[in-house]
Amino acid sequence: MPRFRLCYRQEGRARYVSHLDIVRAFERATRRAGLRLLYSQGFNPRPKLTFAAPLAVGVSGCREYLDLELEEEREPVEVLEALRSNLPDGLVPVAVRVVADGPALMSLVDRTRYLAVGPVPEGFDARALQAELAAFLSRGEIVVERRSAKGLKRKNIRPGIYSLRAGINGGKLCLSMELKAGAGNVRPDEVLKALGERLPLVPDDFAVLRTALMSRDNQLLWGGKGDGE
Amino acid sequence: MTDLERILTRVERPARYVGGELNTIIKDWERVPVRIVFAFPDVYEVGMSHLGMHILYHVVNSRDDALMERVFAPWIDMEREMRREGLPLFSLESHRSVCDFDVVAFTLQYELSYTNVLNMLELAGIPLECRARDSGMPLVVAGGPCAFNPEPLAPFLDAVFLGEGEEALHDLVEVVHRYKGGGREELLMALARVPGVYVPRFYQPEYGADGGFRRIVAQAGVPAKVVKRVVRDLDRAPYPLRPIVPYLEAVHDRAVLEVFRGCTRGCRFCQAGAIYRPVREKRPETLLDQAEALLSNTGYRELSLSSLSTTDYSHIKELVAELVERYGNEPVNVSLPSLRVDSFAVELARSVQGVRKSSLTFAPEAGTQRLRNVINKQVTERDLLQTVETAFAAGWMRLKLYFMLGLPTETLEDVDGIARLARMVLDKGRECGAPKGRLAVTVSTSSFVPKPHTPFQWEPQAPLPVLRERQAFLQGRLKGKNLVYRWHDPETSFVEAVFARGDRRLAPALRRAVELGCRLDGWRECFRFDLWQQAFAETGIDPGAYAYRSYGYTDALPWDHLDSGIDREFLTREHAQALAGETTRDCRNDQCTGCGLCPNLEIEPYVAEAGTGAPV
Repeated sequence: MPRFRLCYRQEGRARYVSHLDIVRAFERATRRAGLRLLYSQGFNPRPKLTFAAPLAVGVSGCREYLDLELEEEREPVEVLEALRSNLPDGLVPVAVRVVADGPALMSLVDRTRYLAVGPVPEGFDARALQAELAAFLSRGEIVVERRSAKGLKRKNIRPGIYSLRAGINGGKLCLSMELKAGAGNVRPDEVLKALGERLPLVPDDFAVLRTALMSRDNQLLWGGKGDGE
Repeated sequence: MTDLERILTRVERPARYVGGELNTIIKDWERVPVRIVFAFPDVYEVGMSHLGMHILYHVVNSRDDALMERVFAPWIDMEREMRREGLPLFSLESHRSVCDFDVVAFTLQYELSYTNVLNMLELAGIPLECRARDSGMPLVVAGGPCAFNPEPLAPFLDAVFLGEGEEALHDLVEVVHRYKGGGREELLMALARVPGVYVPRFYQPEYGADGGFRRIVAQAGVPAKVVKRVVRDLDRAPYPLRPIVPYLEAVHDRAVLEVFRGCTRGCRFCQAGAIYRPVREKRPETLLDQAEALLSNTGYRELSLSSLSTTDYSHIKELVAELVERYGNEPVNVSLPSLRVDSFAVELARSVQGVRKSSLTFAPEAGTQRLRNVINKQVTERDLLQTVETAFAAGWMRLKLYFMLGLPTETLEDVDGIARLARMVLDKGRECGAPKGRLAVTVSTSSFVPKPHTPFQWEPQAPLPVLRERQAFLQGRLKGKNLVYRWHDPETSFVEAVFARGDRRLAPALRRAVELGCRLDGWRECFRFDLWQQAFAETGIDPGAYAYRSYGYTDALPWDHLDSGIDREFLTREHAQALAGETTRDCRNDQCTGCGLCPNLEIEPYVAEAGTGAPV
């Protein structure tokens, strides 16, 4: 059965929707669109709909991916148009292509890029911020607390921060980060929180956008080099 | 980041507050003269499951001259953040402040949501008392079942809509449009002349020297009695075929098809059965068309056939068969919210549920035949046992049984009857060979609350200690393998009873309770009986005088000026028959029981005819 990969944006009000609810929204959209999703067999049939990486509540994504398996052959452009007219505002299909059977989409994702935009810390210019970030990254350990089912855990996030750069644009501080995904992942809010301990910035003041998902060999899930898109 | 965006990062389930769901309607604010916000006094997941909201949203937004947006009660974390940041209550669609709207329209589904009504007004920056609101402030109106006795809320509500809102809301839009920019008093007087609209400030209650309620006096120019509105032709009434589809999982997360309105079984405790008369069915072909539109416009995988007693629909078997035929392979499940206690209902449930993984629920309501006769629940022990036998034979292993505690005339023998019935059901399950590990009979009890406009409106609620004692008794009798007992806290039912039959003198107590921090009282983790008791004590209210009051037939009732269409003589007759243990037939198939509604409202029940050309 054909497997389609959809690249979409999740933005605006839809960024406040949890991953589980996004899954259901896509399932319903395919039904409205008359696309016949394949369902798993068994007691409680689940749609064959898999996502690259859940987006945290509150974070937008401009290149998100999911794979869907349909009962029938369709032209990718047809699938794209059908979804376009049936998704709620804030879930915006960008492109669809057919992909060969292969490893699960989620297992491909190795690193993620984020852009966090917020107020410039009082008394800092671009140069001073760069220096602060360099000092921040030169530490061997950056420890944050993470809440899990077993309670609070302390975790060193430094190995999972591949890059962190600051710029000032339109009077706003723009932090771009490349972070580890999957096992040993680092979340953008953890980086902001750790930064907030040395800079006068409040993580809640930052709008966060995920800009890219990449595989281990620095390929975008879409194909093509990570730097080329 | 705006204040709202910052707040949203700090609360649970922010999707409750932002809107943007599928089928939401956002109109151009500047070009629409009448702006209404529908206010549901509970959280998003509860409110979005309410069919009435979807209907009124559709009705108002289908007009060019009006818009309707939504707002729900914020959960505790959101309220805390909003107060801290000074962010007023806002609508989901345009994120505008609620006090920018012309009308704030509440639905009163449950007495324990009254604190949310006041709290939402306060969060919106709208003065609580009508008299403190000038013409620049929104009109605050309410409807829903509790509108049939809104007296405890009277000082806070500008107008109350009695009965069904489909048509009355058009009148509201027109009156608000005509009087926009004018004085509040003229607007209210115009509203008071609309059929079904009650404007509390034009009605003055009088109390006797003994403190009892004496009567309510209508001022000149407004009707002495307000009669409920009723949709005459439900088959052709507007129905939301593009309902909003929430991202969040609502309590009822499915497409809802209303098959008929009203119920004539005549259970004497049931307020819905009284205030939604008469029975009006939709034609099968209408329902099939609506089902198709609903499913294709929402993408839901479940279609719920909704009404007060869906098994009673004249063509239910054919309708269900056709729906399963059309959608069974999609896969779309058809669901029946409430099941009648008979084998037909079980067969019906079986025909819609291929895999019987869930449980079945039946409501015998009382434990002995004597008491079931008192409440006019016409279910015999034999009916129940036959029904559960059919259910076990069909493969269900988990059954739930609903009962009420504290019904009028109830004795310990009746309570014991609940345990006895439950054990008989369990034995039936074992007899039918249900595996021991999976067999489960769950008994749930709630406490009886006397409701206005029912034959039990004169009856007192059982005292709290009695309710607790009977619950404990039942708990002792329902111990054992495969038996589960669940109950509602009687304290919440007590507060419910106080307000259900309350008068205007309760308003200060309600206000005080909100000040003390009572809200979201329908949520067990939020309900604070100690604060309620404090609020009553501080405002000089004896709540027991309301909940435990026994009225005589000639006593004035605080809701006497609000007319459900049913004759008082019918209610007294029903009450007397209840005490005599005599039952009354269903008027759907048998002869008229003489409740007076049809002649009073000049309407007739409508039961869909068979063979009207559709494939059903």
